[in-house]
Amino acid sequence: MNDKYAPHIEELAKALDGIDRDDIKNEFNKLIKFRVPLEEAKRTVLNKFSSKEGPETKIKDISQAPKSFTLKGRLISVEERSFVLKGEAVNLYSGKIADETGVCFFTAWNDFSLKEGDIIRIHNAYMKHWNNRPEINFGQRSVVEKLPEDPSMPKNEQLFTRSKKIIEINSSDMLVSSQGMVTEMYHRDVNIKGKDTKILEGVIADETGKLPFTSWLPMDGVDIGSVICFKAAHVRLFRGIPSLNFTNESSWEMLPKDQCLFSKQDLISDEPKSIPIAFVLEKDGIFDVAVTGNIISVRPGSGIIERCPVCNRVIQNNICRAHGTVTGVKDMRIKAILDDGTGAVYIMLNKELSETVFGKSMDEAENIMKASMSKDAVFESMKRSLIGSYLSVRGNSSKSEFGTTIVARSVWLPEDDLLSRLECLLLKLPEDD
Amino acid sequence: MAEREVAQRLFAREFNDSTLSLTSVSSDDSSDVNSPNLLISPTGVRINRVFVAGVITEVENLGSEAGKERDLWRARISDPTGVFIVYAGQYQPEAAIFLSTVEVPSYVGVVGKARIYEPEKGSVFISIRPEEINDVESATRDRWVVDTADLTLKRLDLLSELLSSGMHGDDLADSLKMKGIDFDSSEAILDSLEFYGTDQEYISEFKQSIRESLLSIKENAGVQIKQNEDTENVILEILKELDQGKGVQYSCLLEEAKLRGIREDVSDTGVRSLLAKGECYEPKIGILKLI
Repeated sequence: MNDKYAPHIEELAKALDGIDRDDIKNEFNKLIKFRVPLEEAKRTVLNKFSSKEGPETKIKDISQAPKSFTLKGRLISVEERSFVLKGEAVNLYSGKIADETGVCFFTAWNDFSLKEGDIIRIHNAYMKHWNNRPEINFGQRSVVEKLPEDPSMPKNEQLFTRSKKIIEINSSDMLVSSQGMVTEMYHRDVNIKGKDTKILEGVIADETGKLPFTSWLPMDGVDIGSVICFKAAHVRLFRGIPSLNFTNESSWEMLPKDQCLFSKQDLISDEPKSIPIAFVLEKDGIFDVAVTGNIISVRPGSGIIERCPVCNRVIQNNICRAHGTVTGVKDMRIKAILDDGTGAVYIMLNKELSETVFGKSMDEAENIMKASMSKDAVFESMKRSLIGSYLSVRGNSSKSEFGTTIVARSVWLPEDDLLSRLECLLLKLPEDD
Repeated sequence: MAEREVAQRLFAREFNDSTLSLTSVSSDDSSDVNSPNLLISPTGVRINRVFVAGVITEVENLGSEAGKERDLWRARISDPTGVFIVYAGQYQPEAAIFLSTVEVPSYVGVVGKARIYEPEKGSVFISIRPEEINDVESATRDRWVVDTADLTLKRLDLLSELLSSGMHGDDLADSLKMKGIDFDSSEAILDSLEFYGTDQEYISEFKQSIRESLLSIKENAGVQIKQNEDTENVILEILKELDQGKGVQYSCLLEEAKLRGIREDVSDTGVRSLLAKGECYEPKIGILKLI
């Protein structure tokens, strides 16, 4: 049967320059065996091998990567795991891969004969989230190419010494080193596997940003205001926001005052400074960020809502998705879009913040609802009082399929800096002679 | 996920000069129905959605003319450089209702999509189809002018820099990339340079117009801020006087302020600003107390 198809295979090989002929033949024959019509078989093979090459991506950009991409990196660890899928034993390979911009977990669903320490270029890889962390997957369509040794490609050890500013820490970091000042700290007793353990939680900040941390190590002598330098802290992610975890692998030391690279005073004063929304959109998630813009839309779902008393889900007509018929608990919230001309984010305000911004208490809002006999009355009234107005919002931002959202921790009217900004602009605009 | 189109800030002068329309710059796939219609402004803004805060000076119901579809409202919204035209028809019922009852003149904020209408070659009409329209305070308008001046000036400075560099074609594109400007924006800037033939003269003329705009609101903003401060001082005084330890009823406060010649909505704004500044707080709803 091979002879009969030889011209077609020849044709395919020509079209797919650079692909091994035997591979093409195998693939083609497989389809023919299934009695796929000739034209369809040719098309399928062509498609499979000539798959449009995705753009080359670096690990630091992995969370924004296109559907299919190419990546060059070093395999830092490879582990083989077998499991049973639909009654069949399957092997998969997982581990870590690193390039000069970061390190990332990977999973290979086929045997690509991956070896620890190899530098590879992987074509048609794709990204999936696993444990809130982007992970590179090598699938059916992926092709692995082994590259010659290149000493410039980092090996495992180098990652431990990678030192970053707080704002630079992102999903491509697993272990990170940095320094910062403890701006918040509290002790917590937790029970882990039946053992009472004391842990520390808090916030570490430098001049670029701040991140929450959890320490499983005792940190004697560290208090709010201490500046510490830490090595090999684990980075965990929640909704795109990194958090630092100090574990047995990590180390830390107090930094003498004169080695502190930033002004402690600025960090302690904790004045929120608004940043352009465009910058917020670039990140998967930012801890404690402030933005200022116009409310350009108040979204449906704002106003008086009812929640399930058990799970707090928003409910309609006293029926909860999980708990059936319940007596709803009244609540008020505002969901809106804030736009500053550089970008737009969703903002979510809880009851207290909604009351402040709306200028009416929940009771007053309920009266509006009762007086007009309409559920939408509060929503309409919110639109009338909010759309167009300026607002500053502070909270955590995170990116999801619905867009980037900031859950507000506090809101305020932007400060009266209009005249000073105006003067500043006028200085740049000298009068024409 | 398609990212939400930014509501651009630009002056009427620039908006009304934006005659370059593109179906889509970003997508290679022309069948992509979600790709927005865009206008490219003379300074290279990709306009899909805009946000404007200005003075509504005229509202007209075109629907009342014979032979026209039933409801079509046209409004003129003025900023310091010119006028935005807003059309609201039967598919913008909320905006149409707003326009039918709005007080003229007054300060309004509009969020909407840019529309282009070209009945014949050479005559192009640019307008806004509103998504949202609402009353705003005069302070919002003032801040909008400053924001818009700020953003416009940045664009003009960039253009001026590009023009004086003497670069062309790919060099120009590369230098924009080096500045960290994303692909879409840089395409828009290059397109605008080519289409409008923007030159240094246009830039300096535009800058003068921004300067005048800023000066026009400077006085007003100064007075406004002064007034706000005065209001806040009066409210603080009232709080001091009336508080007998348990705070002051909000309604009493408003009453007292009215006696001293402050309108209710003005004192309300003042109270909110004081709350935001942390000068006073609400121990209970409806009760105000000094810190």
